[in-house]
Amino acid sequence: MKRTTIPFGPQHPVLPEPLVLDLILEDEKVIDAIPTIGYIHRGLEALVESVEYTEFGYVVERICGICSFMHGMGYAVAMEEIMAVEVPERARWLRLIWAEMSRIHSHLLWLGLGADAFGFENLFMHCWRTREEVLDIFEKTTGGRIIFSVNRIGGVRRDISDTELAAIVTKLQQLGASFTETARIFETDPSIRHRLSGVGILSREDAHAVDAVGPMARASGIRMDTRLTGTHLYDRLDFEPVLETAGDCLARVVVRVREISQSIDLIRQAVDRMPKAEGAPIEVKVRGLPTGEVFERLEQPRGEVVYYIKANGTKYLERFRARTPTFANIPAMIKLVKGCDLADVPNIIMTIDPCISCTER
Amino acid sequence: MANPFNLPMMGRSLRNLLSRPATRRYPSEVRPHFAGTRGTLEFDLDTCVFCGLCARRCPTVALTCSREDRFFAIEQLRCIACGVCIDLCNKDSLRMSEDAPHVHLHTGAAPGDPRPGHQEWHQQPPDGSPPVPGDAAGGTATAAV
Amino acid sequence: MDGTAFLARVEQYHRDGWRLALINVTTVLPAASAAHGAPGAHGAHGAEAPAGEAPAGEAPAGEAAAVAALPMGGPGVFEIAWGFARDREFETIREQIEAGTTVPSISEFFGAAFLYENEIRELFGINVTGIGVDLKGQLYKTSTRVPFSHAAVKARLAALAAAPVKPS
Ligand code: SF4
Ligand code: SF4
Repeated sequence: MKRTTIPFGPQHPVLPEPLVLDLILEDEKVIDAIPTIGYIHRGLEALVESVEYTEFGYVVERICGICSFMHGMGYAVAMEEIMAVEVPERARWLRLIWAEMSRIHSHLLWLGLGADAFGFENLFMHCWRTREEVLDIFEKTTGGRIIFSVNRIGGVRRDISDTELAAIVTKLQQLGASFTETARIFETDPSIRHRLSGVGILSREDAHAVDAVGPMARASGIRMDTRLTGTHLYDRLDFEPVLETAGDCLARVVVRVREISQSIDLIRQAVDRMPKAEGAPIEVKVRGLPTGEVFERLEQPRGEVVYYIKANGTKYLERFRARTPTFANIPAMIKLVKGCDLADVPNIIMTIDPCISCTER
Repeated sequence: MANPFNLPMMGRSLRNLLSRPATRRYPSEVRPHFAGTRGTLEFDLDTCVFCGLCARRCPTVALTCSREDRFFAIEQLRCIACGVCIDLCNKDSLRMSEDAPHVHLHTGAAPGDPRPGHQEWHQQPPDGSPPVPGDAAGGTATAAV
Repeated sequence: MDGTAFLARVEQYHRDGWRLALINVTTVLPAASAAHGAPGAHGAHGAEAPAGEAPAGEAPAGEAAAVAALPMGGPGVFEIAWGFARDREFETIREQIEAGTTVPSISEFFGAAFLYENEIRELFGINVTGIGVDLKGQLYKTSTRVPFSHAAVKARLAALAAAPVKPS
């Protein structure tokens, strides 16, 4: 049969980010997809050559506008490990709280975009309206809505008072209560089910074979979450990842919907369990030049991110590498896209939650 | 076939129809910024001792400081509002205002145009020597807006 | 590097249910490696690191020192790390190769490896044989061809030394 090649992206009505795929079609069936990275490749990894390690955190934050907190945190944590810095406990708790809040805002953003992708604009507005409240909390506590500049090697730069923490928990719980209605829509609306269930099924075996990470893997029933390693104080919280077994687009939506309530609960637990030590130190001064290397793993909203940092005793790092979750999920996406209908491609691509800025760095 | 009367969004939509809008009518109704929002960097010429610490440590090289010329400049469009300079300055000459950064309507591309977002300050030298050439008057600020 | 032994180890990881976490390459310049000094002897490769000891997966210290021991007369050395993860554990297979050496692909065992392998071929110019899905140089669109090759990194560093970003 005659084959047609359709360029999908970088500009496409459904894509929030410039993903570039060449779809090779036979009739309406996609038989191959060829990804291209680098449409927005900014060469951030090469910037270690010209930006000092103390200032590189601000570059790392700008890898992605959604996971910006987690990127900043990952860089700071990795550098702290290289430089053997003991970070004050309060700073670590605050990082955990902000990280979970990032997850909430990222998932809400994605649910909105996902709803928009399958044509449910009303729902899109609702998710984004809810997200706005999380962004307000961010602005109140860090001074920024998207780029927080709050992580520093050795700790965090702003404290949240205990009363404010309690207020945040109350606020988030209210948000969670009002979100249950939206969550129910995602799980039960017949038009959503019709559009998503049974589409783009990634079986458990396949998910393992293509090394899927994050909600993608969890929707296929793999109990995989870097938070389970217990690093970054997650060992002090009761945490069990949200799992779904269907592995289709709907399961990936549902996993993210449930993770929002889970993150709210994790923040509540964290505020309950962190020592009430307002005014305790939140950062330590870091001196000297780093030598050594580290692999650091962190669970971002989209899945596991791996940082590799190699420092050679100068002001400039020798190598910084971020393997972002979308990069790891692209093989899974290609696997899913092969053999599906052209009309399902947008939904499949959206449900991996692609973050192209992260991937192309 | 799905039940066509199962419309979980309907209740929400009806309530939205009858309730007030969730958005603000922006230009006429502006949400005040929270305390501590990182907006625009502000400089106070009177307290600065031109030590240059802030300029050396700014990650984006947005500050220029010269002790000899008693000169200080901020490139507002380079500044990422990280606040590093504010933490460093022990004279409290820098502060972060909560207002959003200025929107620049010209590009400053032609030669001789002021750079958008460029602000500079010259201080009258204390010994009474003449002000720096090219400056309107000692101790004033010029800002390209 | 010993291709057969390497692939045997990768297969072992595959059989034990590990997942490929990343393939990372570092361009090691002779000058940079000299700055390391050589603290401590180069021990075992990362793969033999005690499993699950550091959940975040810290690579054993002294690994970097191995590079200094390599002959530096040639065009330069790349350090490659294949990282594997399983639950709490994170392990790496580390190799140092001279520029121009060919590396075998591991896509046979880890399907997702093709993306990393295309990436290291395009960004570092390392030849990888037998990539599962060969994107033929179409993955990245960069202005510098092979931006992390030794020549390109040296050129960038020289340009930076001539015109530093930050006035000192
Ligand atoms: S706030 Fe940050 S970026 Fe802006 S001038 Fe100060 S140090 Fe530079
Ligand atoms: S650190 Fe403060 S006193 Fe020193 S030059 Fe900067 S603004 Fe002036």
